[in-house]
Amino acid sequence: MSMFVEVLTGGVRGGTSILYAALGESVSERAGVVNLGTEGSILAGALAGYAIAAETGHPWLGVLAGAFAGGLLALVHAFIVLHRGGNQLATGLVILFLGLGLTSLFGVSYVQALAPTFRAVEIPVVGSIPVVGEILFRQDPLVYLSYVMVPALWWFISRSRWGVILRASGERTEVLLANGRRVLPVQYAAVVAGGMLAGIGGVHLSTAYTKAWFENMAQGRGFVAVAVVMFAARQPFKVAGGAYLFGAALALSPALQARGYGINQFALDAVPYLTTLIVLIVLGRRRNADLPEGLSKVFQASPSG
Amino acid sequence: MSATAPIADPTGSAARATLAQRLAAARGVGRLLVALAAALALFAVLMVIKGVNPVTAYKDMVTSTFGDSSQIAGILVRATPLILASLAVAIPARAGLINVGGEGQLIIGGVAAMGVSLAADGRVSGPIALILMGLAAAIAGGLWAALAAVLRITVGIAESVTTLLLNYIAIDVMFFLIYDRWKDRKGSGQPATRAVSPGEQLPLWGNTRVHLGLLIAVVATFVVYAVFRGTSWGFRLRVVGGNTEAARRAGLNVRALIISSMLTGGALAGLGGFTQLAGAEFKLRSGFLFGYGYVAFLASWLARHRPIGVMLACVLLSSIAISGDSLQLDSKLPAASVNVLMALVLLGVFGFSKREAKS
Amino acid sequence: MRSRLLLPAIVASLSLFAVGCSSDSADTTAAPVETEAAVAETEAPVAETEAVAAETEAVAAETEAAAAATGTGPGAGSKKVGFIFVGPKDDYGYNQAAYEGSQAVAAKFPDLEVLTAENVPEDDNATRVMEKMISDGAKIIFATSYGHLDPALKVAAAHPDVVVIQQGNFINDAVPANSGTYFGTVYEPVYLAGIAAGKATKTDKLGYVYAFPIPQTIANINAFQLGALSVNPKVETLVVNTSNWCDPAKQAEAAKSLFAQDVDVITQHQDCTATITKAAEEAGKMVVGYHADASTLAAKGWVTGSEWSWGDLYSDIVQTSLDGKFTGSKYNANYRVGFKDGGNPFVQSKFGSMVDDATKALIDEAKTKISGADGSPFTGPVLAQDGSEMFPAGVPDYATVESKNTVFVKGVVGDIPKG
Repeated sequence: MSMFVEVLTGGVRGGTSILYAALGESVSERAGVVNLGTEGSILAGALAGYAIAAETGHPWLGVLAGAFAGGLLALVHAFIVLHRGGNQLATGLVILFLGLGLTSLFGVSYVQALAPTFRAVEIPVVGSIPVVGEILFRQDPLVYLSYVMVPALWWFISRSRWGVILRASGERTEVLLANGRRVLPVQYAAVVAGGMLAGIGGVHLSTAYTKAWFENMAQGRGFVAVAVVMFAARQPFKVAGGAYLFGAALALSPALQARGYGINQFALDAVPYLTTLIVLIVLGRRRNADLPEGLSKVFQASPSG
Repeated sequence: MSATAPIADPTGSAARATLAQRLAAARGVGRLLVALAAALALFAVLMVIKGVNPVTAYKDMVTSTFGDSSQIAGILVRATPLILASLAVAIPARAGLINVGGEGQLIIGGVAAMGVSLAADGRVSGPIALILMGLAAAIAGGLWAALAAVLRITVGIAESVTTLLLNYIAIDVMFFLIYDRWKDRKGSGQPATRAVSPGEQLPLWGNTRVHLGLLIAVVATFVVYAVFRGTSWGFRLRVVGGNTEAARRAGLNVRALIISSMLTGGALAGLGGFTQLAGAEFKLRSGFLFGYGYVAFLASWLARHRPIGVMLACVLLSSIAISGDSLQLDSKLPAASVNVLMALVLLGVFGFSKREAKS
Repeated sequence: MRSRLLLPAIVASLSLFAVGCSSDSADTTAAPVETEAAVAETEAPVAETEAVAAETEAVAAETEAAAAATGTGPGAGSKKVGFIFVGPKDDYGYNQAAYEGSQAVAAKFPDLEVLTAENVPEDDNATRVMEKMISDGAKIIFATSYGHLDPALKVAAAHPDVVVIQQGNFINDAVPANSGTYFGTVYEPVYLAGIAAGKATKTDKLGYVYAFPIPQTIANINAFQLGALSVNPKVETLVVNTSNWCDPAKQAEAAKSLFAQDVDVITQHQDCTATITKAAEEAGKMVVGYHADASTLAAKGWVTGSEWSWGDLYSDIVQTSLDGKFTGSKYNANYRVGFKDGGNPFVQSKFGSMVDDATKALIDEAKTKISGADGSPFTGPVLAQDGSEMFPAGVPDYATVESKNTVFVKGVVGDIPKG
């Protein structure tokens, strides 16, 4: 296998959990709510997915459980910030600690559990296309589900009536109110949906990618997802690109090492963050203008100097 | 508005608080206590699920955390960098800025201090070495934070976004160095620098592990408190934080204020990295101050960015973290339980201590 | 105004509570001190005779003199034993093995209370946790992670009456009278596993996923390659590091990269091991275990492995310390135990079905050889990766093996990160 194919295959595989979480964060941010607790939802999803798959023998039930657990944690975030006026960034960090603590506490008995897991399945015909087929169509079912999820979310956000309502809840609440709709339920739904997607990302991490549950196994992928969303300005296709970029940076090091090249992993690790920063700088003004109004209140408490 | 204008202390009006205001304040305290009690009760339920008697567990937690001098020393040692990093959140917050980058500013401060130690290579030691290391750390932390302020002013990227990204870059910078250029060749093989020389270590307080850094942190807190209350800079920061447009019309240099607040905050966090290096860890290694920046962020929000309160909040959060030792050793609960306890307490405070609905 | 009151209020009430409690605890601790003194007295004769034996230890002399005067050595008569682990005690790997060792101590010494603390970072926090164990009454402490050495030495210096012993690292300077390191010669069973892997591979490529290039890991990788080489002259070992003791996602990617290079037998030095084992099984590759018997995770691909059995060694260290004989004992040094002494805490796991009797016989033969006086996996001449001589002809002792394993042997493919 050429190194190019290997790294990109690994980028898709390793980027998928980040992709789900970043898609979820995009939905949430469209409604004006930032959730730094994404990492917690990933962990909750990873544990619930693995545990339920182990208990029932059905990985797809694990996916449902993971989505439920990730959504539940996001619901706590939504309640505190939407109902109780908690600061979004601070509350999100607390949600992260909560998720980390609870999953470690209740995950102990599943470290050694054997669960049925998702395996890579080659899709007939397209899977045999050189390069593209190798990279995209010899993956596991949750990767394929994410392929559907990206355009579906794009359509939902940019083209559907619901998308208009979602965006309005984060930008022009007065438009919603004028149309006789309530803002809060829309925001609640968006935050919870975001947590559910992050939860599915966690399920991918535990039952498809690593085939194990281990405490704190997300290792910062939730924060990576938040960075990807900044990079991609909450647009699903760009989110996918960003997630795969992070994934590829992670896959590059072992690919080089297995070929006998020494590498300082940490120079590579910084690349995606630097790229995000540079993209933000280059697109600065314009990107900033794209920021939903509700979000700019979170990200910058006062207008820019 | 001239720099020498008398300072109208917005909180001074508290002295003329009406009965209604006092009642509201009492209700606030009451709500907070209820929130804390609810958090502790919820955690007690969790302990029961885990087969632990919560009454004994809480009793052990308090006696062994606050009744043991080494644990109290542990609280203070842990609180030291937290306080400095929390001030790095509180100062910009006064100008309406959100600094999520305490983590990166702490680490880059530690990296700079270690860099001085490596560059000096034993040629200086004692107070001069410590001052050089502290200065380097403060400058590095300040610039790291000011970068975010500059990007906000020139390109318009929110500082909360850039400071968050810069955290990861700081960690990778440290890893890159300790894994490669700075790795102690005579060391054990794990990525770590050599230790700073004994002459480059902060003096300890008597027989304890508490180091001079604590004094630095406490002094910094009171200085920030005094600056907020008694200088025109502190007042102007508040004006910018309250209404940027009005501040601009009043002729304030908003850009300079934004940059200076981040610079000062970052410098304090950098200093926190230095005190941890020279007072507690002595070398950079994987995990150096990981997570401290985020806890510091929470501490500053917990105390609504008021310096003295921020300091106490840091002591409170370190106490909770260190009570985890007791939960493990006395109550035999898993190590992670303390994260749940901390999260419940913070959720209680953030979510239930005030009445305002949607912000 | 309101909010300015809140925090001081909490903290004030907490500290009031604390003051009240601390005076309580002072009262209650007064009584046990007396009983402990009584115990110490009865221990006195044992410690005195031991003191004579230990006087030859130059480094230990000072503390030992003090111990002889009071009639106790460090750790003597302790009522509690503390263990700290860097990871969760249920990691199905290194920390779990150490935890199980601590429980073996608990079973063997019913009168001792065994304190365990998991997820103790390798930094100043470890100092605090050990200090708490000591103030709770522990006089024997096991710091079980490689990176716990710095805090362990710090605590040992502050508490001359407490044995603080560290697992796996190496004290380069003078060993304090109340400290030491201990470990198995882990590379010996890994060498035997290498023989099985060298026989099993069809592509002549073995894979090794490791965390950090520390000497014991490098020795393992080298022994694995040398074991395989002893039965298969064409074999190579490809290495990938993850820079993390447990990041399952990095492990998954490392395994995929190695399989992409035609590796068909994979092994690892990670704290959590399930991911790589399962990745091998799913990819139809073979796997050599480490830390724990994971044969149930890889029914088809399990070759063999090595696992920990700490109970006996821990118990002996505890007994030595309780008797007041720690200072000057073999544990008051960089203690290494291997096949030669018959007490290696690192033992071979069971064989998988693909290992035939001929291979088992080869392994038995090799084991007998390295257990004898003139055997070692590193019997020279051994060439380094760059072709220079790493071990000259002859049999190196344990200390030499540890000190020379800073580079890979010939046949290992991959770079050690600079340092």
